[in-house]
Amino acid sequence: MSNTLAIAGKELRGYFASPMGWVILGLFALLFGFFYYTFMDLFVRQSMQLSQFGQGPQAMNVNQYMIRPLLQNTSVIILFVLPMITMRTYAEEKRSGTIELLLTSPVTDLQIIVGKFLGAMALYTAMLLVTAVYMGLLYRFGDPEVGPIASGYLGLLLLGGCFIAVGLLVSSMTKNQIVAGMATFGTFLMLWVVSWIGDSAGPTMRTVLSYLSITDHFDDFSKGIIDTKHIVYYLSFITLGLFLTAKAVDSERWRG
Amino acid sequence: MIEVNHLTKRFGRVTAVDDVTFRVERGEILGFLGPNGAGKTTTMRILTGYMPATDGTAVVAGFNVFEQPLDAKRRTGYLPETPPLYPDMTVREYLDFVARIKGLPPAERRPRVDTAMERTRVADVRDRHCGKLSKGYRQRVGLAQAILHNPEVLILDEPTAGLDPKQIIETRELIKGLAGDHTIILSTHILPEVSQTCQRVVIINKGRVVAVDTPANLTKRLRGSEMLYVEVDAGAADARALFERLPGVTRVGETGRHDGAVGYEVETVRGQDIRRDLARAVVHEGWGLLELRPTGMSLEEIFLQVTTSEEPVAEVSHE
Ligand SMILES: Nc1ncnc2c1ncn2[C@@H]1O[C@H](COP(=O)(O)OP(=O)(O)O)[C@@H](O)[C@H]1O
Ligand SMILES: [Mg+2]
Repeated sequence: MSNTLAIAGKELRGYFASPMGWVILGLFALLFGFFYYTFMDLFVRQSMQLSQFGQGPQAMNVNQYMIRPLLQNTSVIILFVLPMITMRTYAEEKRSGTIELLLTSPVTDLQIIVGKFLGAMALYTAMLLVTAVYMGLLYRFGDPEVGPIASGYLGLLLLGGCFIAVGLLVSSMTKNQIVAGMATFGTFLMLWVVSWIGDSAGPTMRTVLSYLSITDHFDDFSKGIIDTKHIVYYLSFITLGLFLTAKAVDSERWRG
Repeated sequence: MIEVNHLTKRFGRVTAVDDVTFRVERGEILGFLGPNGAGKTTTMRILTGYMPATDGTAVVAGFNVFEQPLDAKRRTGYLPETPPLYPDMTVREYLDFVARIKGLPPAERRPRVDTAMERTRVADVRDRHCGKLSKGYRQRVGLAQAILHNPEVLILDEPTAGLDPKQIIETRELIKGLAGDHTIILSTHILPEVSQTCQRVVIINKGRVVAVDTPANLTKRLRGSEMLYVEVDAGAADARALFERLPGVTRVGETGRHDGAVGYEVETVRGQDIRRDLARAVVHEGWGLLELRPTGMSLEEIFLQVTTSEEPVAEVSHE
């Protein structure tokens, strides 16, 4: 456990030792801010229109019409931003040779992988915390419900965890950061569009594909529903990703 | 302390290490000498648990590196060909991280980091980023990392490669100072390096062990003498005494006997071919001459190869 935390700490420090961590954090805050502003603007105009038709200003639910779409857009933003976090994890260790230190130290492959996963999750959590500040601002204007916001963040955390697990797997298979980044992004995109294919397929196929689609499971979270079914899905996904990474690291060992 | 038995490693169709067997006793410094591509790095990577072997076994500090990797790793310090440094960490942060993943208890970490920095003389750059260090300092921080958890076994892959002459001397002194407490294997492709640092040498070429001996004997075999292998059936007579009397012979050693035949290693002064004299003497005694061939040659060839690849070409590192 202490080994794992040491590696997680090293990862997290690594992000912020180079401009990378700050760039990612800044980029994410900027993108989120843009959507925040757009949805806020839309929401304000729509509720003003509604009040002109004689309904009260609180007739539109801020949770439903602003927070939910915002959270859903965040799930798209992380699709673009998280590959930047994970692409360097293994690829960089292999390029610089530090992988020799890790693999010859008395730690198991899984401890290393979980350490790296936690390090990336810590940076991701920091990113989400920045957006929580924006959410806090909403309380100045309206009175959003806490429940859906909390469940939305839980969903984002789990969804991001899946992306990070996939990113680690891809990173463990190449020495080149850029290749790792592109391949990760491609994989995320596939996991995402699976549900679009489902939309045009028959009903059975649609259910299957929608179950497989990593983003469809997020919908309920953004609506404020915490369903164990989705939590189990995400946690299994993460576990599988880390397990496959361990396999990849091991087979990489044989090849040298 | 280290036992390597019939170790083989194949990468696809390339056999990098081919049936290598040797042992290292406690407190000994063993030199691993061979030209580039001989299989030194691969052997060391197997011993440190970085990669598995295709065949054979390796026992380090009493633990089989394939079956009890964590126990073996806990007792091994490893300096890879390129020191495994994180450029963004300061030397102190880096060694602290290493102390943690080597599993040192919290109370021991600081004193051990301090000791390691002192022994490798990197204390003056402790707050510098590893990425900004000179080659000499990188190598020393790499050494500090290897000795940090006070391992019984040290495995050093070309520890003096790329250093300037002064740094080379310092590093050799440092390594010699570490022997005794530690059992050391160090690899090199430079002949003088082993004679100055090591008690015993394994010469490896194209993945195979070509010779195991002390540096002194190896140098003698190379410089001053040539070697013949002779197998005779002398009945009850003492062939050894006869060989020793032949002009030009400096040493005779028995290598083994079977079915009445006895094998000898006959060392001679360089440049003097005594094969005819020897054959004549054996026939004159009425013994059977079963085999007679020079053996020193291949070793010499390897030494030539080894010593001529001393120049920077040797710097090219690969996966
Ligand atoms: N990961 C690898 N994949 C394929 N071939 C390799 C790999 N590592 C080493 N080799 C090959 O194995 C041989 C021995 O290499 P190495 O152990 O690095 O030699 P040395 O350290 O003595 O220079 C070389 O022919 C090298 O090309
Ligand atoms: Mg090498």
